[in-house]
Amino acid sequence: MVVDDHPIWREGVARDLGERGLEVVATAPDAKAAVRIAPAVRPQVVLMDLNLGETSGVEAITGIVGALPQTRILVLSASGEHADVLEALKAGATGYLVKSASVDELVDAVHRTAEGTPVFTPGLAGLVLGEYRRLAQSPGGEPAVPALTDRETEVLRLVAKGLTAKQIGERLVVSHRTVESHVQNTLRKLQLHNRSQLVRYAIEQGLAE
Amino acid sequence: MLQRAPSLTPAGTLIDVDHPLEPLWRGAVVYRVLTLLTVIGVSAFHMREYASPVGAVVVLAVMVVWTAVQARVVLSTGRDVRAPFAVADVVVSAGIMLTTPLIVTAAQLDASVPGMGSIWTSGAVLSCAIAFRVPGGLAGAAVISAALVLGKSRATLTELSDIQVLVLAGLTVGFASLVLSRAAERLRRAAAEEAATAERERLARAVHDGVLQVLAHVKRRGAELGGGAVELGVLAGEQEVALRTLLTSGDAEIDESGQRDLAATLRALSSARVTVSAPAHSVELPAATVGELDAVVRAALGNVERHVGPEAPAWVLVEQLDDAIEISVRDDGPGIPAGRLAEAETEGRIGVARSMVGRVADLGGSVELETGPGRGTEWIFRVPGGTA
Repeated sequence: MVVDDHPIWREGVARDLGERGLEVVATAPDAKAAVRIAPAVRPQVVLMDLNLGETSGVEAITGIVGALPQTRILVLSASGEHADVLEALKAGATGYLVKSASVDELVDAVHRTAEGTPVFTPGLAGLVLGEYRRLAQSPGGEPAVPALTDRETEVLRLVAKGLTAKQIGERLVVSHRTVESHVQNTLRKLQLHNRSQLVRYAIEQGLAE
Repeated sequence: MLQRAPSLTPAGTLIDVDHPLEPLWRGAVVYRVLTLLTVIGVSAFHMREYASPVGAVVVLAVMVVWTAVQARVVLSTGRDVRAPFAVADVVVSAGIMLTTPLIVTAAQLDASVPGMGSIWTSGAVLSCAIAFRVPGGLAGAAVISAALVLGKSRATLTELSDIQVLVLAGLTVGFASLVLSRAAERLRRAAAEEAATAERERLARAVHDGVLQVLAHVKRRGAELGGGAVELGVLAGEQEVALRTLLTSGDAEIDESGQRDLAATLRALSSARVTVSAPAHSVELPAATVGELDAVVRAALGNVERHVGPEAPAWVLVEQLDDAIEISVRDDGPGIPAGRLAEAETEGRIGVARSMVGRVADLGGSVELETGPGRGTEWIFRVPGGTA
C-alpha cells in the first residue's frame, strides 16, 4: 500500500513496485484515507510519506499500527524534518528511506520491511542515537527511560557512520543477523517507551477508561 | 490574505486594533452630555440674575444642538470627519464662552457664578486630545483657557485652577490616545508578521511536496530509461538534494546569544555522496566554534574527494555526548598507509590533516584517526561541550 499526497509520485512508485513483482493493494492520498483503507486491504507493508498535505503521516502510522499490528510501515519521505522522522519511528514505523533512493533500494527495503528487518539509513541511526542520548540526559522524573546496551550503541554508531550490516558484522566478529537484531532492539525500545508514555499521559489526563 | 487582527488578539485584551480609540470617543460623548445637563441646571439656577436671560436660553439651545451634532458625528459618521470636527468643536466652545459678558453680570462673576459654557467646553479639549494626541490636547486647552479668561475678563485663582484642569485633561487624554494607537499598531504588525510567517511555511511545504517529488521522480526514471536520460536523472538528483538542504537548513542561523546549531550547519554539507547524521534536536555551540568545526569537516570531506575519488561516498556523524561533541568523518576508501602522514609532513607539506588537528586543538579538543587497509579512513574530532 502506497500513501503519498503527490499523484505523480504515488502512481510512479506503485508502477515501479508492480513491475518488480510486488503487489500494490491500495494507494491513499492522505492520513484519513490511509487509516480507512488499510483495514480493508490488510497490506503487509505500507509505504508512507510523512508530508501528506494537511494531514501528517505520523497520525496515519498511529492509526494503522493500532488497527493492524501485523502491518509494517516503511517511511519514504522527502521530508527533511528530522523530528517528524523520529516521531514516525516512535509511532511504529520500522524503516526510513529518502525519496532519492533508487528503485532497487526501494524494492529491497520493502522486502526487508516485510520480513520485519528494520531499514536503517545512517541518517536514521544518527537520529535514534541522538534521541537516546537526549532521553538519558533529560532531567529526572522520567521513569523507565530506555537505555541502549554498550553493544547496541556501538552498532548504532557504526550504522550512522555508513557501515553496512555486513561490514559491522566483520568488525565486531558477529553475524549480520545479530547486527540487525541489535538495530531492531534499539527501535523497539524506543517504540515501547513511546507507547508507555502515551498510556501514562492518558491516565494522567483521565482518558484511560 | 492577512488575517483580521482581532481574531489574534487575546480574549482579555481590550484593544480593538482596527479602532483602538473608539472607547475614548464614546467616553467623550458621554462626558459632553453629562456636562451639558450640569451646565443647564446651573444656568437655570442663576437665570433670573442674568443680564439677558433670553440670551442665556439661546446660548444653551446652541449648546444642546451642538452636543447632539457632536454625538451624531462621533458615534455614527465615518471616522475621517472626527479630526476636523474636533477643531470646529474647540472654535464653537470658545465662541460660546465669549458670549459670557453679554449674559452674565460682573456681580455674578464676582460671586463665582460660572461663565457661559463653563465645564461643558472642556469636552472640546478632550476631543482635540483624542484626535491629535498630546499636542492637540495642549492646543485645545490653550484656546479654551484663553476664551475662559477673555470671556470673564479676569484671571483669579478660580480661572487658574480651571486652566490647570484643562491642561491636565488635554495632556492625559492625549497621552492615552497616543499609547492606545501605538499599542494597536504593534498588535496589528505582530498579527501581520504571524500571518506572513505562516504563509512562508505554507509555501515551503508546497515546494517541498511538489518540486522535490518531481525531481526525485525524474532522477529515478532517468536512471531506468538509460541513455541521455541518465544524465538528466543525475542532474535532477543533485538539484533535489540541494533544494532539500536549502529548505531544511534555515535553522542554522546564529541566534541572539551567539549560539549556532552544529547539527543544522553540518547537515548543509549533505550531497549525493555525503551523508550527514545528527540528532533531531539542535546542538547549540558558540557560533565561532561551529564555524571552525564546519571548516574542519569540509577539509576532511575535501580529503576524501582528493584521495579516494570525487564520487567516493563519505559519512559524517554528529553526536552530543555528556561532556563533549564528537564528529566523525568516514570513508570506505583504501585507508591511509602507516607513516604516510608523517612522510607528508617531513616533505614540508603542511598537510590538510595537520591544519585540521591544529584547528580542533585550538578549540581545546582532540583528534583521532582510525584507518587501515580495507577499513577506510575515519577522523574523529572531539571538542568540549555537550549537555553537562
